[in-house]
Amino acid sequence: MKLRELFKLNCSEAAEFCDKAQYREAGFLNKLKLRLHLIFCPPCQEYTKKNLKLTSLLKKASIKTCTKKEKERYKKQIEENL
Amino acid sequence: MATNIIDPTKWVDRYSDYLFNYTIVRVNDREVANDLISETFLAGLKSMKNFKGESTERTWLISILKRKIVDYYRKINSNKGRAEVKVNYNSDDNDGDWLEEQIADLSDKTAEDTMENEELGMAILECLDQLNEKQATIFKMKTIDGIDTDAICNEFDISPSNLWVIIHRARTSLAKCLEKNWF
Repeated sequence: MKLRELFKLNCSEAAEFCDKAQYREAGFLNKLKLRLHLIFCPPCQEYTKKNLKLTSLLKKASIKTCTKKEKERYKKQIEENL
Repeated sequence: MATNIIDPTKWVDRYSDYLFNYTIVRVNDREVANDLISETFLAGLKSMKNFKGESTERTWLISILKRKIVDYYRKINSNKGRAEVKVNYNSDDNDGDWLEEQIADLSDKTAEDTMENEELGMAILECLDQLNEKQATIFKMKTIDGIDTDAICNEFDISPSNLWVIIHRARTSLAKCLEKNWF
């Protein structure tokens, strides 16, 4: 059946959409497919749970990183003093 | 046990974000943080021969950085002279109340939260060490700096599906690494 084809999803695709959803890049249809898949797939449920938790931890940590420019400056300085 | 080796050419890629994250919450000024990290790297280069490989490079660098931060605060404190504490009562009515009674409500946990979040951030950056530098950089760009998929793909000359494979690996290994203490 065509409809069934449309909603078919394997676990690695499910993981991919779940990852993309963490960055709001999954798209509506893919998220729907993922939701349907999750109903029947405990391992993917587990992965999704952890993935969501990771997203919230990353947000909570609000990590500050150096800019590329700053890193280049450090590198130059190290090279000059090696 | 294998001893740790030292490789200054990798310092920036491996540790600069870690050192920066540690510094910025303590000095709260980007320029000062940059200066302190530069000084740390330079001090590291100078005393490289003293590195015995008993600790990791990271631990060793952060111990240098800690000293730099303390020095920084000492210096600005001596510039200012001694801090002066002045207590003004809001009105005559509470004149004589103890200073202790005027401090902020202890149930307000903001300071503790900040500390916990900083610890979490450091744990995340440490866990990212398990990836290679390129993967860690890509993950950080995507997740922490929020850079577009296309922009990252262009910069590293990879396809979007390559990028998502890297992100997937990074997320799986990060979740595993953080699981014990943070999940």
